[in-house]
Amino acid sequence: MTGQQARTAGAAGLLAAGCVAWSATPLPGPPALGRVILAVAAGCAALSVIRLVLGTAPDDSLVYLNPVLHAARELADLVRRVPWAEGMVVAVLVLEALHRSRPWPTGLLGVALVGYLLAVHLAESGARLAVLRPQVPLLAAGLGLLALAVAAAMLPAETGTTAELMAVLAAVAAVAAGGLALQR
Amino acid sequence: MAAPQDPRTAAAAGPRQVRPQWSVSAHARRLITLALAGLIIAVITRRPEFAGVAAPAVLLLAVRRPGQPGQVGVSVRTSATRLTEGESADLEVAVTGYGDHSVDLTVHPRYAVVPGAGGFSAGGESRLPFQVARAGRRSLGVLEITLRDRWRLTEGHAAVELPAVDCYPRPGAQQTRVVLSRLPSRLGEHASRSPGDGLEFTGVREFVPGDRQRRINWPATTRRGRLQLNTFAAERTQNVVIIADTSSDVGDPGSTPVDHALRGSAAAARAYLAVRDRVGFVVYQGSVRWIAPGLGARHYYRIMDLMLADPGLAELRSRAGGLTRLPRAALPPASLILVFTPLLDRRLVETLRDLRERGFSILIIDVLNAEPSGSHDSLSGLARRIWRMEQQAIRFSLRELGIPLVHWDGEQSLDEPLAPYTRRVMVSRR
Repeated sequence: MTGQQARTAGAAGLLAAGCVAWSATPLPGPPALGRVILAVAAGCAALSVIRLVLGTAPDDSLVYLNPVLHAARELADLVRRVPWAEGMVVAVLVLEALHRSRPWPTGLLGVALVGYLLAVHLAESGARLAVLRPQVPLLAAGLGLLALAVAAAMLPAETGTTAELMAVLAAVAAVAAGGLALQR
Repeated sequence: MAAPQDPRTAAAAGPRQVRPQWSVSAHARRLITLALAGLIIAVITRRPEFAGVAAPAVLLLAVRRPGQPGQVGVSVRTSATRLTEGESADLEVAVTGYGDHSVDLTVHPRYAVVPGAGGFSAGGESRLPFQVARAGRRSLGVLEITLRDRWRLTEGHAAVELPAVDCYPRPGAQQTRVVLSRLPSRLGEHASRSPGDGLEFTGVREFVPGDRQRRINWPATTRRGRLQLNTFAAERTQNVVIIADTSSDVGDPGSTPVDHALRGSAAAARAYLAVRDRVGFVVYQGSVRWIAPGLGARHYYRIMDLMLADPGLAELRSRAGGLTRLPRAALPPASLILVFTPLLDRRLVETLRDLRERGFSILIIDVLNAEPSGSHDSLSGLARRIWRMEQQAIRFSLRELGIPLVHWDGEQSLDEPLAPYTRRVMVSRR
């Protein structure tokens, strides 16, 4: 692992820890369920960073290793195979969904999650930050839509099932429309 | 990942086309997870801010367009096809036809190949440094080419088998040489006991008709009143046959008796060829491969090539054929035989005894620097003691036969263990 990859992996670790802490403060929902999901999120976050630190599997054979080293290598391979980052994203969003509606903290969590995923990619591929330059306009547009969605959620609205559903569908439609517009 | 291609064609052919196998990148899969999780939670909880959380991921995924190159041109060659241990060389890789994709090159090295750090330049060419840590004919490994689109959403992987290189052993240091007392009557650079036309002054004798007048020693002639003549030693070459015992590869890789035997043999061959001695070489690896004594720098590389040659099937079948059956061309009479061996093969020990009894002058350089490993219990300790005593007995019996034996650790200069035999001529007893 190069120095740059180590720095990016460190940034990914900090963002992962921040996401988990942010979504778990205060611990939402039924305490038991909240604790379980928090444990899953924290575990996935830690293992995703460990996976980055482990890097790719070495090319040498396992045949001549002693049993302890052999088991350690098998464990490391298991850590490499499982998509821990995806697990952390889902767990953190579920933890956030257990809270009562709090639009701007959720929006900040979304920004941190996108940053975490980009940091994971940079650490994994060993690429420099400059490779993300073509994505900057898209990221800006996406963050704009996120701000719009958060603002829409903060506006006082009609209560009731239909009104809430309509607000959600409007947000989804806005995201889809933005994506289609940029694809042209 | 595409199947690796044949290494021989890899070394010989120019640019060739490889087909990358394309797939969704891990980054794209993570973005899909974020987008789907955000949208599903937004619909289930009816909270639009979660749809907003999904928005950046959706937009990044929406720009994915087809148009990956179906094949790319790859040209791989090495800056040197022959190296010595620890010497650096470059792998020159040129990739063409990758469009606006980024290219990452990863070398998956094979045994004893140490890749260095190197990157892919924008021009499509890169130099990846590498070293080979252990002598032999080494395949460098597999080059993995990873193509990524500018949005980092798709990845194409292709693999190319890298060419093989010949890695010669790193010769040890040796400046001095063992010279026999009896040398064959062939012109060379070693002063012999017999008078001749060399440069080394041996004495003064009375002039006899037929002697060259330019060698008259005028001061001695004036003193004695009769014509006196300077005499010089004849300069002779010697035949040296180096035997490398590569039958026992024990100890840590890189410092096994095989490594030390090959490095010592290379050092000795270089030292003797430098003074125009005729050097022959024999590899003992159960079977025997040999090259007759010869002269010159080209002969040095013939010896190096013999070190790297794998024993063929025919040679493995004829293991019974030993050193004692070598023809006179391989073991000329009155030649000095230097044997680099750990003395672990009983057949070789018996063969050396046989050669000594036939009158050859043999000098053994013991390259054993390892002991049997095992637990530290009393039984293992006892076994190790017995093994050591057996080794001492073998060495004692060889010394008793008049075969000098020195130990070389593979690190120090060969001059140090050979010093007792290089300070004066080695008397060849029959």
